[in-house]
This record gives sequence, structure tokens and C-alpha cells, in this order.
Amino acid sequence: MAMNKNATGYTFLFSIVMVLLVGTALAFTSLSLKPLQKQNEADKKMVDILGAIGITTTRENAKNDFPTFVKERLSIDSEGNVLNITSGDVDSKDASDPFNLDVKKDYRSKKPASELSFPLYKCENEGESIYVIPVAGSGLWGPIWGFVALKSDMNTIYGAKFDHKTETPGLGAEIKDDFFSDKFQGKQLRDAAPYFTIEKGGRETDIHSVDGITGGTITSVGVGEMMNRTLSIYQLYFNSVINAQANNNGY
Amino acid sequence: MGTENKTITPKRESLFSKKNRKLLKDPLGDSNPITIQVLGICSALAITVQLQQAVIMSLSVLFVMIGGNVIVSLLRNLIPDRIRIIVQLVIIASLVIIVDEVLKAYQPDISEKLSVFVGLIITNCIIMGRLEAFALANKPGPSVFDAIGNGMGYAWVLLVVSIVREIFGSGAISLPGMGQVKFLPQDWFISSGGFYENNNLMILPPMALVVVGIIIWIQRSRNEALIED
Amino acid sequence: MEYFNIFVKGIFVENMIFAYFLGMCSYLAVSKTVKTANGLGLAVIFVLGITVPINYLLENYVLKEGALTWLDPTFATVDLSFLSFIMFIAVIASMVQLVEMIVEKFAPALYGALGIFLPLIAVNCSILGGALFMQERQYPSIGEATTFGLGSGVGWWLAIVAIAAIREKIRYSNVPAPLQGLGITYIITGLMGIAFMSFMGIEI
Repeated sequence: MAMNKNATGYTFLFSIVMVLLVGTALAFTSLSLKPLQKQNEADKKMVDILGAIGITTTRENAKNDFPTFVKERLSIDSEGNVLNITSGDVDSKDASDPFNLDVKKDYRSKKPASELSFPLYKCENEGESIYVIPVAGSGLWGPIWGFVALKSDMNTIYGAKFDHKTETPGLGAEIKDDFFSDKFQGKQLRDAAPYFTIEKGGRETDIHSVDGITGGTITSVGVGEMMNRTLSIYQLYFNSVINAQANNNGY
Repeated sequence: MGTENKTITPKRESLFSKKNRKLLKDPLGDSNPITIQVLGICSALAITVQLQQAVIMSLSVLFVMIGGNVIVSLLRNLIPDRIRIIVQLVIIASLVIIVDEVLKAYQPDISEKLSVFVGLIITNCIIMGRLEAFALANKPGPSVFDAIGNGMGYAWVLLVVSIVREIFGSGAISLPGMGQVKFLPQDWFISSGGFYENNNLMILPPMALVVVGIIIWIQRSRNEALIED
Repeated sequence: MEYFNIFVKGIFVENMIFAYFLGMCSYLAVSKTVKTANGLGLAVIFVLGITVPINYLLENYVLKEGALTWLDPTFATVDLSFLSFIMFIAVIASMVQLVEMIVEKFAPALYGALGIFLPLIAVNCSILGGALFMQERQYPSIGEATTFGLGSGVGWWLAIVAIAAIREKIRYSNVPAPLQGLGITYIITGLMGIAFMSFMGIEI
């Protein structure tokens, strides 16, 4: 062999070339595919929001179906004040569009709630107005997230849809299955925290709780945690809406 | 990895000096990666709750193994010995990440199923183990056979374990694209008022170990040469 | 108290072997005698204790979105997290190699005890698992991350020493011949896993 492949110089040269090649390849794929991936993510988000209010759609149709059912997109601050109201088609480049708020990222950033704003989707299905709240938290292995839909009394759960990144298949991963999210339909929130409870798999449940997934306890606990944490913030907004309605009725 | 294998299968060196057909066949039986070489256990435990996951994982591992084996085998005369482990890990990891990124952009639904396994594929010691034990010292041709053989040997154990666990744990079998097929009528399950209760223990990860233990038991009773003293 | 909690959780509640089944390959292969198991276990504690904090710094000052702002405020939107897998693995592999060289040079006695196990550790999935858990759990400070790394390492050490002790004793038991060695080890580990599940969900 012409060169000594165990020489220090060669080892360094090899590592530098390898790092450059691999880095370029990864950065290139990551950057060039980013727009497509972003679009896929947005489509998926629409599918999930619609799923929470019981509308089944596909990635391809999500863009058209979304404005049909989702009438307004709001963002509120941690005090329950409305910051922004947007309606119509989603513009993925418009940073002020509440649709583009990323609750998963906000959750990971661990910023205090007072620095964040929270999206809320006002939807309409079969003449009923529904509020869809995005939730995000952690399961056993990685992030979990979902959407909880409340009826116009802001207390009865209309539907829910959960998803996860890396939960154990067959155990925690089942939070994304319909049999789990269907359990939430018609359940009610308590007036004070904890608003909702996820019991251990197979336990008895009442109107304020559902049973979690057997063998997926930590994931189920994560679902309960993210629901309660998020609901405690939206509760302020709901209270102000309910108070406003009561005042209107009073006069 | 190399020394680790040798302590378990002192015979392996001679096994791999034989022909390609043997390369394909041996990992299915007498030098099976999971039951004999002790490689790739972590993933075998994590994803064998359902058949569907086991199928997807097996295919991904097969794919990454072939890719990794070919690349390392082509570069085998260039890789400095001192940093070979880093080089192998980097090759595997970038291969997996690129595949995942491409799928995420063009096949988001498949990617969603697969992304769960990305971390598990990278840390799967079966890939690393075969790179170190075979591809680093052999031409690309035989390396492909070695990858296919070991991938299949890994796959059948995974499939058997997941079928056993899913039948007893959920009373069903799930295939990719077909969803879960229940064996018994829904009314028979205790959850809908029947008499049949699923064995929840089977769903828990420790039971995968016990099932693999039983597979080893059966395999070694049939081939006495494999018995350890 | 928080540190103690993380440490104990890492050993018992979130044991790398019995709760997450990470690092199984070397756990099964190198647990024939207590002596070697102890050596590998100590090496894992050592490497987890070093790589978790390094990866923590990497994650928080290089990879995470907005992590590069300490260089220049305009980097606030740079997100390098697609590189995290490969960076963590590279750090682990190079740290293992570095540690091996340093130990060999300055502590030959320790090298004699740990030496042959160090290269094995780079591919031990519990080490990468440790880095990924650290990334996922977003520990608030490097102290907590290090404690987590050490706790997980001690948990792994405990598991492998326990199984090695059982394997040493079981040699005198009447195990069916085909089940001897690997087979019975799998089954015992399964039973130990079930026992450790009773720690699940315990908060201190």
C-alpha cells in the first residue's frame, strides 16, 4: 500500500474529509427537503385538528376542508386575553397567523407561560360551535401532542386526537388510535384543577376521567399532564367568554 | 463488538470462511444473530408487541444493513483502524437519517410509522456487529449476502416473537396495511362482556425475553451442538 | 433533593436494563462472571458520567434551535437538531477512545481492569440512550444532567452485577441442557424485569 492508513496524519485527513462529506450531505438533504416537510407537517396538523372534531380527511384534501370547518384561529396570552384573530386560508409564511404557533416547540423551550401565546381554533360542525385546543407534553420516550375539542359550553369534550413521536409501539403508541381518543367523547371537565384524569389502564372511570393504556402508563400520565397544564391556561379565556355571555344575557 | 462475539461463538471465524450460500443460510439457524450471536436484542424487545411493527423494523434493518455493509466494504481499505468504530457509526447514522428525511418529504405516512424506529436502528448492534465482523474484512459481494442472511435471521426471530406476543397479548394479528385482525369474535372478549381475557403480561417488554429464551430452548434441543456447558 | 431524586430514579425506577432494555447486548454477553461484569459496569458509569454532560453542552450551545445565539444574536433561528444523532454518536465514540488513551497512559492499573471493555461501550445502546433521554427531558442544568448520567450508569452496573451473580450460582442448578447459558439468562432477565416494574411510577 502506498500510504500508511494508521498514520496520525492520515487518520486526521480521513476524519476531516468524512466530516465534511457527511455534514454536507446531511445539511443538503435537510435544507432542500425542509419546505416539503413543513408542508407535510401543516397538512398533518389540519388533518389532526379536523380529526378532533370528528371530520376524517386526507392530507391532500386538508387544505380545502380546513377553512370549511375551522372558522377562526385565535391566539391568546397566558392571562386569557385575545391577541389575534385570523380567518380564511392558512398562510404558512405569515408569522402572525395563530395556525403557525408551534405549541410543541413552545413546550420544549420551557419558557414561562407569560412569554408565550396560545392558539385556539373555533370550529363549526353540524351547526355546533366547537373550540379546539392544541396540547403538547412528553410521553415515555419523546414528545406527545394532540388536540382536544370542547363543545360551546367549554366543559364537555367533543372529541380528541393524540399523536406521538416515539412511544412504544403497541403500548404507549396506542394513544393515537381511535379507540383511545373515542373514550374522551362526552366526558366533562372539572371546575378546578385537575380538570381531567387519566386512570391506570382498565380502572373504573367516571364522567371526569378515562382509563389509560395498559402497559403504557407513563405515556397515559403524560396525556393527562399536558391536558391539565394546557386547560388551566385556556380556562382563563373560557371564563371571560362565559362571563361576557352571562352579562349579555343579563341585560 | 468483535471480542464480544467471540466469547459467545468461538466457531464463527471458521463458519464465515465458507461459501456465500452458507453466508445466507447460517444466520437463519446455527449462527442466528439474536439467539446465538446476542446481537440486536434491544430492538427485539421494544417492537415485538405487534407483528406490523416487527415487519417494518425487519425491513428497515435489512435495508440499512445492506447499505452499511456495502459502503463499509467498499471503504474497507481506506478506513483507519483507530477510528473505525466512529466511522461505522457515522455511516449507519447518516444512512438512516437521510432515508428518514427523504421519506418525511415524499412519503409522510410511511415516515410516520418509521420515525419511531430511527433511533433504534442506529443503535441496533446487529448492524454494527456485522460491519465490524464481516464487511470490514470482505468484498462487497459476500458482504451483501452476509447482510441479507443476518437480516433475515434477525427478521424471523422478531416475527415469531411478535406473533406469539400479539396473539396472547391482544388476541389478534396485525399486518401492514390490513390493520388488526381479531381471532375471536369481539363479544368473546371480557372487555365486551365475554369470557376471554387477554394476557396483559405478554404486552410487557420482559415477556419478550422469556419468549426469546424459549425459542433458544427449542433451537438448542434440536441441535445439540449449540448447547453451552 | 432534586439531585438525589434524579439519581435514585436512574438506578431503580428508570433502570436502563429493566425499564428500557437498553444496552442488552453487552449485558447478556459479558455477564458470565461477577468480576468482568463489575469491570464493564464501572466503565459504563464512567462513560455515561462523561458523555451525558458533554452532550448536554453540545445540545444547549450548538444543536438546539437558537442555541447558537451566544456566538451572534442573528443565529437565533438556526436549528441544527437534525445533526443531533450523529453528533451524540461521534461524541460518544471519540470520548470512549479518548478515555481509553488517557486511562492507559496515566492509570495503567485501572486500564488493566477496564481496558478491554472500553471499546465495547461505544456501541452500548444505553450510552446513546442516555444522551437521547437527556435531550428529551431538557434538564435545567448541567448538574442535573450529570446526575442523571451517573444514576443511569449505576443502575446499569447494578443490573449486570446482579445477573452475573445469579449466573455464577445457577451453574450449580439443574437447568435443562438446551436452556443453559444464554437461554436461562434471557428468562431470568425477564423475571428480574417484571420485579423491577414494581418500582415504576415511584416518586421520591
